[in-house]
Amino acid sequence: MSQRIQICGTSFLLPGNPAWSALGQGWEPVFAGFDEWPRLLLDPVPPVDPPAALAWVLFLEDLLPAAALAPALALKDPGQRRQALAELLAPLLLPLDARLANHPQTPVIVAYSLPAVGSAIESGRGLPAWEHARQALEELLRARVDQHPGLLLLPLDRQLARLGLDQAFDDRNLYAARCRLSQAGLRVLAGCLGQLLERQKTAAKKVLVLDCDNTLWGGVVGEVGLAGLALGQDGLGKAFQDFQRAAQDLGRTGILLAIVSKNNEEDVWEVFDQHAGMVLTRDDLVAFKVNWRDKASNLLELAADLDLGADSFVFWDDNPLEREVVKARASQVTVVDPPADVTRWPRLLRDLPLFGRFETTTEDAKKKAQYQARAQFKAEQGRVVDETGFLRSIALKPSLVPIGQGSVARAAQLCAKTNQFNLRVIRHTQADILALADEPGAVAFLGHLADRFGDHGNVALVLARPTADPEVAFLDSFMLSCRVLGRHFEAWMLARAVAQLRERGASWLIAEFIPQKRNQVAQDFLAGHGLMPWDQAPAPARERLAPLCQGLGGQIHLAELASLTIPYLEIYDETQAD
Amino acid sequence: MKPKLTDLLRQLFPAAVFDGQDPTLGVGSFAEWDSLGHFNFLLLVEETFGLQFSVDEITELKTLAQIRENLAARGVEA
Repeated sequence: MSQRIQICGTSFLLPGNPAWSALGQGWEPVFAGFDEWPRLLLDPVPPVDPPAALAWVLFLEDLLPAAALAPALALKDPGQRRQALAELLAPLLLPLDARLANHPQTPVIVAYSLPAVGSAIESGRGLPAWEHARQALEELLRARVDQHPGLLLLPLDRQLARLGLDQAFDDRNLYAARCRLSQAGLRVLAGCLGQLLERQKTAAKKVLVLDCDNTLWGGVVGEVGLAGLALGQDGLGKAFQDFQRAAQDLGRTGILLAIVSKNNEEDVWEVFDQHAGMVLTRDDLVAFKVNWRDKASNLLELAADLDLGADSFVFWDDNPLEREVVKARASQVTVVDPPADVTRWPRLLRDLPLFGRFETTTEDAKKKAQYQARAQFKAEQGRVVDETGFLRSIALKPSLVPIGQGSVARAAQLCAKTNQFNLRVIRHTQADILALADEPGAVAFLGHLADRFGDHGNVALVLARPTADPEVAFLDSFMLSCRVLGRHFEAWMLARAVAQLRERGASWLIAEFIPQKRNQVAQDFLAGHGLMPWDQAPAPARERLAPLCQGLGGQIHLAELASLTIPYLEIYDETQAD
Repeated sequence: MKPKLTDLLRQLFPAAVFDGQDPTLGVGSFAEWDSLGHFNFLLLVEETFGLQFSVDEITELKTLAQIRENLAARGVEA
């Protein structure tokens, strides 16, 4: 079933135009009438059936004639000028402010555009008038982004510039139908809104898997040898090199890089280690499969090695045949179909929305080391017999991180990205999490873990909230990043949550497992950690708690907190820390 | 091969029922083909055949026959 996005704008946006199909499957645009945007934004009454998101398309020219800017722009002092512009623009954002205050639960996208007017000459010595207005508007909007987790911005002109502003705007449409954009421009707007909506719904991809021959370098190393490769020289050689740079830059933002290549392994490493034109190094890679097996099996194995879902993988290979095999046999993997012209690859990779994230947290930058450590942990774990002794020997250091402005981005990121060890897979937004954490009696924290294999960062999240019965809490969310699985950190997190809930007066806990596509790993967690499946709980407990469980459709478990015995905690005995 | 104007009508208004041979087929022939639907239709015709109507043409072209005649004058068969 498709989700609705409500769309309003200061210009007409041609409802029903085929360009709106660029929103993507699963999104149905619902348009406010022309000039209805102030009423819509200011309406304090919550809609009976709220849309999944609201987009406000702001063409500043519609609200502010150039003449209105003149007095502010005449001010010579930059500080005074900025202040005057802010005072001029802030009232235009009042309807938006009202919307954000009245309906914080519905995400809002503000797409904004300022006219690109004037010749090149006007920018020759100073900033043209509208550029000052752009800076002031962006400053005001960015300040609101910091205050409202549900607010997203779309600087439309930058995206329309890809098409060419002369192609994106159409004055004929303006005078014939009060629509500033051309059909092609409208399609860019719809496509960008679609990208933002999609990223709110599904997590960004985590892993870029690259082929080697004719992908990282030109030529087949096994045939032409090191000296025969196109890599680094002018022409295609530079394009391959820039493609590697683009991949390496993605790696720096936390995207994991891997290679899957049909090759002799020593040939590939010879290029990595000895070719002067190589940009990527072995250390940039989190994993690799270089062999003669089919690439679909290699990709699925790679996913298992890294404890990541194959649906977080993106595969880039020059060979259409290999791509088709992967599409058919590892259909969870997203396969890029790059153009034959390699000179277009570097930009294409840099701009790929698949990896785009709203924010890059400090956790992201540490990703590669964490996954490399995970691989090492698995290797050592495989060699030992006494699990408890092994885990006690690796110096586990758990700690709690309260939910606050500084940590809520990571909490929301965990909600968005954790598909496997996640009891209910509720995709809370930052606003949801902050609201939940503020409820009296709620328990909300992140778990941080470090050990001999590295600092894993904030890798777990607990959100528990009170029910109508103040002695009974509900475990709203419980999740753990798969890269720390095998350390029983989930037991430690549950124990901390139980301790905090008891301090806040709770004596019972209701927990729920909702089976999803990929969270089977969490299925036995509750019963395995002392909670009673609903049908095994004593009748009086069920009688008391049944009204509080109404509406829960998953597998319900109950625990009386005073008598809950959680296993595995001895691993953390010496390191208990809050 | 370029689509016919009636193909574009079906693309834009998939739920509409109309007679492609009706010489008076135009704005108002069915509920979805209102003035906004017509503007969207003209934009789709422009994009499909790579041409642009003037503001005057947008006001004057009201039926499929008129649009077809306009395109024919540009050497476009639709």
